[in-house]
Amino acid sequence: MGLLPDEAKVLPPPGIVNRNSVWFGLCGWATAMLHNSLNRRPALKAGVHRQALFTTVGWFIGYHLTKYENYKYATLDRDMNEYMRLHPEQFPEKEPKTFAEIVEPFHPIR
Amino acid sequence: SPYGSLLSSLLFSLLLVFSRNSFIASKPDPSKPNMLRVGLAFGSTAVLWALLFKQHRTDVHEYKTRNGLE
Repeated sequence: MGLLPDEAKVLPPPGIVNRNSVWFGLCGWATAMLHNSLNRRPALKAGVHRQALFTTVGWFIGYHLTKYENYKYATLDRDMNEYMRLHPEQFPEKEPKTFAEIVEPFHPIR
Repeated sequence: SPYGSLLSSLLFSLLLVFSRNSFIASKPDPSKPNMLRVGLAFGSTAVLWALLFKQHRTDVHEYKTRNGLE
């Protein structure tokens, strides 16, 4: 991969249908339809080859963008967990409190 | 010379392809699609989907091997 180092291959890959792919694919399709409209052609029925190509390009870019995003978040998580492991004094385990202990007494003013 | 006319016809066809002067320009005709361009568009669409599925397959395989799941 061009943008990703070798260690990124340990992460589970995104599905073919993923959030960024769908979004970029739709954006590509909208671009093709806008191109049709601006050239006074019927938006949906004209230039189907262009609509297909733009949607595909968007989908492709979205897939690789999702992979990159997953890697970036994984590195952030790893660094955060490593910091927490090296500085346990800053992250003490607190006993869970019930709401009865936290909530202030209620004095209605009617 | 025999090559003079060939050269001039080549230059004229280049002029046709790489210019838009008003003597030869015309409005794009939607009833006569440029089938080469259409074919290239659909062809590259197919190629991109094939590349995507291949990349996904490789990614899944790499993930499984590296995590000892297969």
